[in-house]
Amino acid sequence: MKETLLIKHAVGGRTFLDTDKQPVAYQWEQSGTGWRLIVHKLSKANIEQILTWKDELNLFLFQQVPGEPMKKIWFYIKEGQVMYDEAKEELTIEADSRIEYIPDTFSSLH
Amino acid sequence: MRYLVDLGWLRSGLSFSFGEYFDPENTAFGVMRVCNDDLVAGGKGFGPHPHSDMEIVTVVLRGQVKHEDNLGNAEVTKEGQVQRMSAGSGIIHAEYNASESEELQFLQLWFMPRARGGAPSYETSSYEPSQMVNHLLPVVSHTGSEQVASINQDLTIYLSRLERGNELSFHQEAGRRVFLFVIEGELEVSGHVMETRDTARIQNEPHLQLAAKEDTKYMLIDLP
Repeated sequence: MKETLLIKHAVGGRTFLDTDKQPVAYQWEQSGTGWRLIVHKLSKANIEQILTWKDELNLFLFQQVPGEPMKKIWFYIKEGQVMYDEAKEELTIEADSRIEYIPDTFSSLH
Repeated sequence: MRYLVDLGWLRSGLSFSFGEYFDPENTAFGVMRVCNDDLVAGGKGFGPHPHSDMEIVTVVLRGQVKHEDNLGNAEVTKEGQVQRMSAGSGIIHAEYNASESEELQFLQLWFMPRARGGAPSYETSSYEPSQMVNHLLPVVSHTGSEQVASINQDLTIYLSRLERGNELSFHQEAGRRVFLFVIEGELEVSGHVMETRDTARIQNEPHLQLAAKEDTKYMLIDLP
C-alpha cells in the first residue's frame, strides 16, 4: 500500500506538506479515542506555515492499494492540538476524530 | 479588487485569499473568510472534500448546483434558493453543476462559526425573489425562519434588487461590519459608486444610503 500524508490549509487548500513531493518520516497511531500523528524533521518553512495556521489545518492520509480505488482519511483537529518540539524537531498533531471516504464511490451525483 | 482565476471549467472572482491566491493581508473581514464568485461549466464541479468549523453559504445566481454529503443529504439548489452548511466537527461533500450544458453561477461565502466543534448540518431555504425588490430581504440569519436559512454566527445576509432611481437606507450598529457585493447594476453607496461585481467592506458608517443608478441586484451582509 502506498500512503501519502498531506497537511493543507482548510481555508483555500494551500498545501503545507505533501509527502509524495517531500518525503519525511512520520507515524500515526490511535491515542485514546483519537489519533496522534508525529512528523519528524520538517523544514523550517513547513513548520512556520503549519504553526501559523495550526487551528485551520486539513490533515489527510491518502491510501492507495494497487488495483483498488484510493481511500482518503481526513482527521478533525480541535484547537490547541498542534504542537512542535523544536529540540526533537517533532511536530505532533492530536486528532479528535476522522472520516474515511473513497472519492470514486462517494457521489451518486457524478 | 478581486483576484480572478480561470481553470477552464471554473472561473472565479476571489474577494479573499483562496487557493493559488494568497495575500496575508487579505484573509478575513471580521468573521468572513471567503467570498468566491464562481462560474462552473456544465457537468463540472468539486469532487468530495472535507470542511470543518466553518459556516458555508451558497447563493445560487444562475443554474442549479447539486450537493451531496456524508450525512446523507443530496439536493439540487437553484436561483431563489440558498444552501447553508455548518461544517462543525467535519463533513465531506461534493458539489456539481446539475446541468451538463448550462453554466452555473453562485456566490460561496465562508464564515467562522460562533463556536467550534458543533454537529455538522446542512439545509436549503427558498425565498421569493419578488420580495427583494426595493427591499433588503434576509435570506440567512442566526435566528432563521421559514424562508431564511439559519447560521451559527451573528450575521444576516440580505439580497436586494433596487429599481433605478430607488433608494434604501441601512443602519450599521456600532462595532459591526458590512460587506457589500454588487451582483449586477450600479449602486451608489453614501456617495461612492459601485458597479457590477464591485465589493465594499464598510465599518464605522452608521448610516448607509443605497441608491440605484440603474436596476441593481446586490448582496449586503451585516456581520461582527
